[in-house]
Amino acid sequence: MLTATMSQIPPQPPTGPLPADDLAKLIERVATLRDREALAKLFDIFAPKLKAIMLRHGANSAMAEDLAQETLLVVWRKAHLYSAQRGAVSTWIFTIARNLRIDHLRRQSNRPYEDLEGVEIASDAPGGDRIVEENQIVDRVTLAIRTLSKEQQDVVRLSFIEDIPHSEIATRVGIPLGTVKSRLRLAYERLRPMLEDLQ
Amino acid sequence: MITQHPDISTLMAFSAGTLDEPYALVISTHVAMCEACQEGVRRTDRIGGAALSGEAGVAMSDGARLRLLAALDADDAIVVKSPVEVSEMPVPLRRYLPYGLSSIRWRANGPGVATRDLPVSPGVKSRLMLLKVAAGRRVPEHSHGGQELTLILQGAYKDRFGIFATGDIADHDEDVEHQPIAEPGEDCICLVAVDAKLNFRSRLIRLLQPLFGM
Repeated sequence: MLTATMSQIPPQPPTGPLPADDLAKLIERVATLRDREALAKLFDIFAPKLKAIMLRHGANSAMAEDLAQETLLVVWRKAHLYSAQRGAVSTWIFTIARNLRIDHLRRQSNRPYEDLEGVEIASDAPGGDRIVEENQIVDRVTLAIRTLSKEQQDVVRLSFIEDIPHSEIATRVGIPLGTVKSRLRLAYERLRPMLEDLQ
Repeated sequence: MITQHPDISTLMAFSAGTLDEPYALVISTHVAMCEACQEGVRRTDRIGGAALSGEAGVAMSDGARLRLLAALDADDAIVVKSPVEVSEMPVPLRRYLPYGLSSIRWRANGPGVATRDLPVSPGVKSRLMLLKVAAGRRVPEHSHGGQELTLILQGAYKDRFGIFATGDIADHDEDVEHQPIAEPGEDCICLVAVDAKLNFRSRLIRLLQPLFGM
């Protein structure tokens, strides 16, 4: 029954980031109300982005869609474990997708990441406000990445989106490994005020 | 008090998910022990969140949304967080070393130096190993042919970069030469990730041969 109702919601085209508090509300509705419509909205926002990065990682179209689907399924299962400590909604979804990709595409154990989730991090400000704030931080980082030099943007992108190890980035771009690392360090320095929320 | 941390570019690679399993494990074990790097990873993860958020996206096929919702019907598994048992071993390492440091069957690699490989997923091209240097002993001067991550699990050692004690991590690029000396009092045990192309053990033996006539 519920499925039939859901099918009447027209799929939305991929859009830019939603306002931070909207994303925070969606995840909260999934966690507390088991709201399928809220999950469907997260799907509309994130599945196309997830599919895009999985395709870049070398997955075929079917596998990229499966991994995007599986990521949202983990969001459904773990929504109640989500907290501001896990970062913005997009950061949390990025880490879920990363762990699935390590498992499926790199064929390595993602346990070092999964087990680390069990390590509780002290947080003095849990709850809704902090979640909104986290989402705002990531929105600012998204914009700030576009202000990096082209060289810096390229290495950030090749590493975080295209899943290419630093040594391979060096080969592809034709620069020494040390230069890849120094460009990443410079990019971090430029993003630092946003990343460390010093604004 | 942890004073030696991984390079920020290594934390970025950890967040991006491009490290080989041995390196990822050494980093996650350090992060489990180090509050500063817990905050550090939270920051580098934000770059991943921002990168995902800025992606243009590729349209999902028709019906993908319905398939997800149907999957929810079939799946009502809710993940329950399992309580973390109290143990001296940092959480991520427990799976790789379930019986603790005292149960290791060491393989002698020269006077005062012993190693033990730990199993990783098939197909992983780098190595995860434990290295033990007897208190006060010197590891012959060596260089690294690739990135080498060393996390101190017990004891301490000193080299030209300083003193590395429990919880500290040495993040060395290739071309770095150093000669660690275990501090007196306690054997120094390290968790090490190395490039498999460079067989650390045979390198050690090769280095030790002229010194000790092996």
